[in-house]
Amino acid sequence: MSATLPEQQTASQPTAASDRPATNSSDQPAWISTTPAATLIVAALAIVFVYHVFLPLWHTDLWGHLSYGRFIHRTGSLPATEPLMPLSEGVAFVGTAWLSQVLGFVTMNSFGAVGIQFLYAAGVTLCAALLAWRVWLRSRSAPFVLLAMGLFLWVGWQHLAIVRPQLAGLACFVTLFVLLTARRWSRANWIIVPVLFALWANLHGSFLVGLAMLGAFCIGRGCDVLRRTDRFAAVIGDRESRRFLLLTELAAVAVLVNPYGIGLYSSIFAVSGNLNLTDIVEWEPMTLRLKHGQAAAIVSLVLVMLYRVSPRRVRVAEILLLAGLGAAACWTSRMIIWWAPVAAYFVALHGSASWKRAARKKPPSVNLLRPHLLWTCISLSVVALVVSAKFCEPALRGQGGRENLNRSRLSADTPVRAVKHLREFPPTGQVFNSYELGDYLLWAGPPRVPVFVASHAHLVPREVWQSYMQVMNLSINWDDALARFGVNTILIEKERRRGLVSRLRADDNWQMTYEDDLAVVFRRVVPIGAQ
Amino acid sequence: MKPNTRNKWAGFLAVQVIVLAGVAGSWSVISSETRQTVLNSGGSPRVAVVPIKYDQPLRIEPLYDDPLVVSDRELTAVLAKVRPKFPPKERRPNFVEHALRTWGVDATFSDPDVMSGIELRDFLIDHGQFVASWGKKIPALLQAEDSGISIRWGRQKGASVHHDHLLASLTEAGISRNQRVYALGRRGATFDSILQQALLDVRLDEKEVEWSAMAFALWLPPQKSWTTADGRAMSFDLLAKRLMRGHSRFGVCSGTHRVYSLMLLARIDEMMRTSGDKQAGDKKESEGLLSDAVLNDVYDHLASVRDLISVSQFDDGSWPGNWYDGAEAVAFPADEEAHKKVIATGHHLEWLAIAPEHLHPPRAQIRKAAQWIIRATLDQSDEKLRERYTFYSHVGNALALWRNTHPADFWKKHQAERAAAGN
Repeated sequence: MSATLPEQQTASQPTAASDRPATNSSDQPAWISTTPAATLIVAALAIVFVYHVFLPLWHTDLWGHLSYGRFIHRTGSLPATEPLMPLSEGVAFVGTAWLSQVLGFVTMNSFGAVGIQFLYAAGVTLCAALLAWRVWLRSRSAPFVLLAMGLFLWVGWQHLAIVRPQLAGLACFVTLFVLLTARRWSRANWIIVPVLFALWANLHGSFLVGLAMLGAFCIGRGCDVLRRTDRFAAVIGDRESRRFLLLTELAAVAVLVNPYGIGLYSSIFAVSGNLNLTDIVEWEPMTLRLKHGQAAAIVSLVLVMLYRVSPRRVRVAEILLLAGLGAAACWTSRMIIWWAPVAAYFVALHGSASWKRAARKKPPSVNLLRPHLLWTCISLSVVALVVSAKFCEPALRGQGGRENLNRSRLSADTPVRAVKHLREFPPTGQVFNSYELGDYLLWAGPPRVPVFVASHAHLVPREVWQSYMQVMNLSINWDDALARFGVNTILIEKERRRGLVSRLRADDNWQMTYEDDLAVVFRRVVPIGAQ
Repeated sequence: MKPNTRNKWAGFLAVQVIVLAGVAGSWSVISSETRQTVLNSGGSPRVAVVPIKYDQPLRIEPLYDDPLVVSDRELTAVLAKVRPKFPPKERRPNFVEHALRTWGVDATFSDPDVMSGIELRDFLIDHGQFVASWGKKIPALLQAEDSGISIRWGRQKGASVHHDHLLASLTEAGISRNQRVYALGRRGATFDSILQQALLDVRLDEKEVEWSAMAFALWLPPQKSWTTADGRAMSFDLLAKRLMRGHSRFGVCSGTHRVYSLMLLARIDEMMRTSGDKQAGDKKESEGLLSDAVLNDVYDHLASVRDLISVSQFDDGSWPGNWYDGAEAVAFPADEEAHKKVIATGHHLEWLAIAPEHLHPPRAQIRKAAQWIIRATLDQSDEKLRERYTFYSHVGNALALWRNTHPADFWKKHQAERAAAGN
């Protein structure tokens, strides 16, 4: 890390002509004019939105969440125990994402899959836009804004691709990050932050990451003051440190505004400590073999290099955040989603500062900061075009395309036809299904279908989960495990579970009753319970 | 104090008040279960005690007295064979448990080599007696836990073989909940400490819940549900569904214990509904142990067992280990050890003795089965019988139940009659 200039000094330095906001050259009112840089960013955000809004819905978690949302919406209450999987009956259910689930279901119910796609794209775009806005305000550099957005999406992609309540949590996280990294403290934050946390606690259990971030800012600020003054009294007397401390306390207490009150805290810890999750890839430690692991490694290297050359002062809080969230991501790769926006922001911030210092004497080639009404019109047109594109999709596709439209909104791995087969020929007794297909089976399968497991793995009793793994790994007595649970029907992926499929094909006790490119359904020749 | 400083402190204190009020308010509105979860997450688990109303367990009485199933003479001969004569060294808890559930706490014998009911009971609940038999190198049978006393079970030396079998045996034998239990490192414990720990430890999806279900059903009514240590809401509905789940061959003793436990749940349910009964029926307007839907499923399941044993009986009267295969078990007999038939036949006779008649196969089949098992028991050498005591103990109990009595009561009567005849 290089020695850096104090931030105030950096901020007050005379900027290069190209970076200085240009005055409005025409007679147009300033409030309606915008710059080419802003239009460029809007266009980039439009691309982000369009890409995500046309992305087929992921086949796992989403459907489980919608199923719980449907249950909560229909019963008008939160279940005390797991309500959908018979093998999990009695297991305590804490709806850490109940509000997202209900909102998701209402959207699905009202607008169908297109509504979810819209929500999803809007969520991702909102995160990118908030990040872009903050980087823009701190750097006034469109290329670095684009870089920040790009890095955020690249590093977080593996988790962003899955439509789930975590995205709502991420939007809250980025919002909080944007509030905390503002140059000036706003009094409104005393209201905004607690309200944000109250909302967050009902949308997704990741509010703990937000509290950790507030804690990092509080400790970081204290360390900065201590480093500068060498006096603890100065830390105690520091207004900003105190402000962060009080804000953390208020946020922590705002979280209590949820149906489980203080119990939500222990429930979140219980979920993250559940042993079943250790068998799920996204809960495993991050390695370089994972794509987002590679992306994170590259961004980390870039950060290290930037810290060597950046003229900006490095605050302890940013080190705490990067190191803390980075360590958490190494512990379980799912945490990378929180590291991604933070890392992207600091890359852009230090990159921009370094670039400005290096390019200080070079003349600008294009002035991206001259406002004009034209750019406002173009930006608005882009937004209108993008938003309307999704709703014009059926018309654009024509009659033939429309037929496949609903199918195309779901990922290719969604077992639509196999589940339809199960609806037409309902299973008797327990169903065994792969974890990845359980959520869609819950959502679209026959009423009260006894799903074996789904992506809410923490709600599955340990012994049931171990039996699931025993069958999936074809461990010794795997077929006994099926008989112990009275499994008469099996729904699994055809290629991904090739070993199990071939064993079942060779077994006289089982008969394949459905097969397509994606999934197969086997039924027991003599069902258990009908001997 | 300057106004600025005063404001600063006022703001700080205001936030602390908000935080404290928020935490206190939240704590006061959450349910007791949630409070327990919060407390448990803070390190050493504090566990709510399941309320149990009575000091004595319920008792399920037999329904028939049929001397054509077993005569007095036959019953005397069989019970004589299954008296608990165990060597003092390395006495196996599993054998003692089986003897105790058959004979009960009140059993007494004139033969000093035969253990009385009290001696059987004390061996299981007194660590000193266990050490006297096994020495100090073997881990204790009674394990002191934070929230009670657990039983060491499994295949290790000196362990109780099945989970909660010791609990169920003591319960069926009629132990008092206040009976003192002597475990290493635990003073003042009672049988309740074992029961409470078992209620916490039970896991619905473990290999065997037959004895847990049975013991809890005999103790808990009118309480029908509780929460286990892992936070799962447990109920007799869940246990009943678990007992009916999957293929019967995975149940203990060829799946027959599941049937017995289900029958017992149904009987207790009936007691609670019709009650009448002073122990089980607090709610006289007839709330059962099970929900209506699950009770119907239980009766359907038991009826299917009836249908299967009606067609799977061999000509000699025995039932095979694979009775659940129905007629196929007779058409294609499995190559199985002889004692499998003893297990299946003895255990079926046991649950049928407490089952209503509509769940019976024709009485002639029951008599035939009883005659076969009587012969099989009497023909067995004492040495062989001691090796397989656990299976034959069920025979003694089953036959006594078919005479509407219990082994200890019948034996006492028999001894009194013999003494009178001698005089």
